[in-house]
Amino acid sequence: MKHITDNLVIFCTQKPKTVYVILAIIALFFCAQIPRIQIDTDPENMLDAAHPARVFHNDIKTRFAMHDAIVVGVVNNTDEAGVFTPETLTDIYDITASILSIDGVIATDLMSISTVDNITQSQPGTIRFEWMMPKPPQDAATSAQIQRNLARLPLLQDTLASQNGKAAAIYVPIKDKNESYNIAEQIRAKINQLDGTSDWYITGLPVAEDQFGYEMFIQMGIAAPLAGLTIFVLLFLFFRNIPLIIAPMIVAMSTVLITMGALIGLGYTVHIMSSMIAIFLMPIAVVDSVHILSEFSDRHKPGESLNDTIEEVIGHLFTPMLYTSITSSVGFYSLMLTPIPPVQVFGAFVGTGIILAFVITITFMPAYLSRMTDASLDKLQAVMHSQHGGSRIAQLAKGLGSVALRFKGLLVFGFAAVFAVSVWGISQIQINDNPVRWFKPDHEIRVADTVLNANFAGTYDAYIVLSAADSLMPLAELLNADRPESLNIWAQQQISQLASQPRNEQYQTLIINIEDALFSDVNPAEEVYFNTLLSTTENALSQSKAFQSPALLSYIEQLQAHLQASGLVGKSNSLTDVTKVVNRELRSGNDADYQIPESPQAVAQTLLQYQSSHRPDDLWHFVTPDFQQTLIWLQLASGDNQDMSQVIELVNEYVTQHPLPQNIDLNWAGKAYINVIWQENMVAGMLDSLMSAFVIVFIMMVLLFRSLVFGVLAMLPLTITITFIYGLIGIIGKDYDMPIAVLSALTLGLSVDFAIHFLERIREVYKQTQDLQATFTAMFDEPATAITRNALVIALGFTPLLFAPLVPYITVGIFLASIMAISALVTLLILPAVMTMARGIVFKPNEGVGHEKI
Amino acid sequence: MKKYSLLATGLLLLSHSLAAPLALAAEVDVDALIQEAERASYYSGNDGRSDARMMIVDNQGRKQLRQFTILRRDVSDNGDQQMMVFFSRPSDVKDTVFRVEKHVDVSVDDDRWLYLPALDLVKRISAGDKRTSFVGSHFYYEDVSGRAISEDTFVLQSDEADAYVLKATPKAPDTVEFTYYVVRINKTTKLPMEINFFKANGDNYRRVEAIKIEDIQGHPTVVRSKVSDLQTGGYTLMEFRNITYDLGLDDDVFSERSLRNPPQQWLN
Repeated sequence: MKHITDNLVIFCTQKPKTVYVILAIIALFFCAQIPRIQIDTDPENMLDAAHPARVFHNDIKTRFAMHDAIVVGVVNNTDEAGVFTPETLTDIYDITASILSIDGVIATDLMSISTVDNITQSQPGTIRFEWMMPKPPQDAATSAQIQRNLARLPLLQDTLASQNGKAAAIYVPIKDKNESYNIAEQIRAKINQLDGTSDWYITGLPVAEDQFGYEMFIQMGIAAPLAGLTIFVLLFLFFRNIPLIIAPMIVAMSTVLITMGALIGLGYTVHIMSSMIAIFLMPIAVVDSVHILSEFSDRHKPGESLNDTIEEVIGHLFTPMLYTSITSSVGFYSLMLTPIPPVQVFGAFVGTGIILAFVITITFMPAYLSRMTDASLDKLQAVMHSQHGGSRIAQLAKGLGSVALRFKGLLVFGFAAVFAVSVWGISQIQINDNPVRWFKPDHEIRVADTVLNANFAGTYDAYIVLSAADSLMPLAELLNADRPESLNIWAQQQISQLASQPRNEQYQTLIINIEDALFSDVNPAEEVYFNTLLSTTENALSQSKAFQSPALLSYIEQLQAHLQASGLVGKSNSLTDVTKVVNRELRSGNDADYQIPESPQAVAQTLLQYQSSHRPDDLWHFVTPDFQQTLIWLQLASGDNQDMSQVIELVNEYVTQHPLPQNIDLNWAGKAYINVIWQENMVAGMLDSLMSAFVIVFIMMVLLFRSLVFGVLAMLPLTITITFIYGLIGIIGKDYDMPIAVLSALTLGLSVDFAIHFLERIREVYKQTQDLQATFTAMFDEPATAITRNALVIALGFTPLLFAPLVPYITVGIFLASIMAISALVTLLILPAVMTMARGIVFKPNEGVGHEKI
Repeated sequence: MKKYSLLATGLLLLSHSLAAPLALAAEVDVDALIQEAERASYYSGNDGRSDARMMIVDNQGRKQLRQFTILRRDVSDNGDQQMMVFFSRPSDVKDTVFRVEKHVDVSVDDDRWLYLPALDLVKRISAGDKRTSFVGSHFYYEDVSGRAISEDTFVLQSDEADAYVLKATPKAPDTVEFTYYVVRINKTTKLPMEINFFKANGDNYRRVEAIKIEDIQGHPTVVRSKVSDLQTGGYTLMEFRNITYDLGLDDDVFSERSLRNPPQQWLN
């Protein structure tokens, strides 16, 4: 290994231009891929496309035509009558008409006061279907009547109009999510032409996603370059030598560009996670260069051979740099154990990016340093030596050293106490997330979300899907009973002709075919067979329509009542509600008749009337045409996964206490549910990632130091730090969400670096001094300064994320910066204390003398 | 050669249609034409029966079957009509009945009743709007009973080899969802073969077609028709069988009593 390293360094210092050209070619090649960038903002992609929950969710969305919708809300708090004034209703009417003419809007499923039907008794004994608002109302009385009409229809009240009458909503289903920005802009333009006193809001998942993509670009375009600038300024403060610090900047830039280029070139989309790759790689990539520069400027003496110094420096740093790079990448690679595709991609590319940074560092840095001019080198020497021991960072490091050595008992006791409290804190962690909260509180989308959820039953959707087992027997079986031989060919034809259709459609077509057959020439035996078959088929078909059964509708009714009573669900809508409303209007129109009809036939006939409206297909949002699957639409006022989990729990309990009717299955779909699923996967996966990263890093430490004791010591600071940070999250009640989950495993790989460098140097110094006191005094000189310097580079390198427009970026910024700073601090404080107290085990004479170079 | 003849035909058609409107208006009596078309579509014989089979296909290709028998009696040609619709399938809605008294006078609403056997309920349906779905199909009530020609203003658009093409504009635009429709009337049978409905922006969102015509007792009769929702891709096919005209159906058949006691002799 050493041989190869030496040869590599010699090659790089002797042919620097070749190294430049190779690096430039590679960087340019990958850069060329970047314009093919594809942004992905769909939170659903947190689950693998083939994940059963997601497949089911999409299947249900298609089957029940539950499209992604833009939600347009209008609120009027100034007028006594709220939105139910001729002015605002006219605006709603006009805006709806313009929205209907926009390309890409699914007009048939658009829900607005002016596109839905009203079912009433215009006079006793008379049922009336008409548009809720066929034209804009001219006076207050008509407007108030519309409000009263809506209030009588549970499916519309609290969904299209708020109970207090202050708000109304328009749900705009769209064909293609990618058109949402465009469509929302067109709607905004129309709204801007209005001169009423009402406030208008636009939200909905597609709009939020689109906005998200836009903010992601801002983040990548501003925060990442800002991180570069921060690092550049820091490096300048450390080294005061522009030509020298250009080198690490080149390492960082080429690492970022090659990694992003590879990601895009390989066809991966840029998701919220991968958009952070640049900002993660930049500080990590410069760290190795900082070590090289520090040591190089320390060792290089004027007049000595430049290349010899470079070889010496690289040879000396190769192993610790390799190990820190590998441990860092292990932290990121461990993310691949989490079954969340964007997290896996992020882990894989940052992990590989770190290795790449290492390779670029040990090839490019020697090449670059070998071409430095004497003038530059002299200047560097001047700066470094004037600073030496006197810089603020060095003083800080020294100060830490005296604290560490003077209060070791207190420190150990203090950290043990903090650790214990933190462990308890971790048990208090609240797992929760809410993609809408990824926007800042004053963001347009958050504001609209708050206003609409305060006024309506809720804009977050979850679907309970009840499915009945298909009771229809295969066609072959059905046709076999007592069949005259003369009809064998006919039966075979039926089976082969109808094979491709769903069973209920096979039965329906069979009825037609039997009738046609009866119409032609048949003998008496055939006629008997056909007539029997006809009634068997009809009966079977009728019985297969499970959700026409009053008993099942009643089960749904009670489940809904239970959900409503819990207060966790804003409102639920189901086939039962549809049936009861139509039944009421068919009968007296009074509340007493808001009931489920008594027989399946009565339900079927009631629903046939519901279908005689302007929107016959609305029924299919709640039940499939074969009546074997039904959907209960839950509207939640909160998008918190925690709240959704409670609803799931509530339903589970209910089903345990009131078992589902025979042959009925209960499943979940809907965005709110999908979010819970990926969060569960994330939490479980993160634990795996964290555990495996911990074990791998620990084994590597034991191998690196050839000592179990040093392995344990290396893991000590980061264990305390991570426990402390997560304990703190639990104690202050910050939700454990996506960014926080992701951070655990990867910080492990990053923060162990400090311990590696510290322990490595301690061994070396102890080998020379063979004296504990002298060792620590030496340690808190140059080595502690270098560690502090690197901690600052990494911690401050992440701070530009604080200026990012999206909350997850800010969270990542705050937490990474504090984890890095705290773990450096803990390393410098706890390791000397523990090592001194346990010196009997740690420092055996002539042991701990450094390891073999690998 | 074929190319040339096609081109020639095209040119002929073009010149014809360019010159057409003014010249034709004088030749073709639009009023008489639409009266004839209305008679051919809805007034064949003095009365009639037919078994209808409806296959509703939604935009996901899912199918639903409906079956019913229609009995009709004319009070006068191009005038008022009585109509009964008796459902037989799906079996859950068997014996559901619609009763319609159609009035051609635009100022008088049609009378409509409904009988739901499982709820044992006779209900009057308030006129409201006739352009609502007929039992969940893509047909509107108005497509079944016939939209009174007095509700629209017709203009001849073109005179083609086998058909007259008319553009109809509603007299009361805010009672209907279309801005205008274009109807092709077959010159021989006088049956409307295709009606395309348009929105204000020129969007053709709905189509009603006669697919198959048969001669029944001397009346060219549509035995298969189709309504398509061009926006969603869903459609409904309707097929008529056992069509008979001039049965001599009497008043009783169309009475309220028939709702609960269907006139079996005419149903099978």
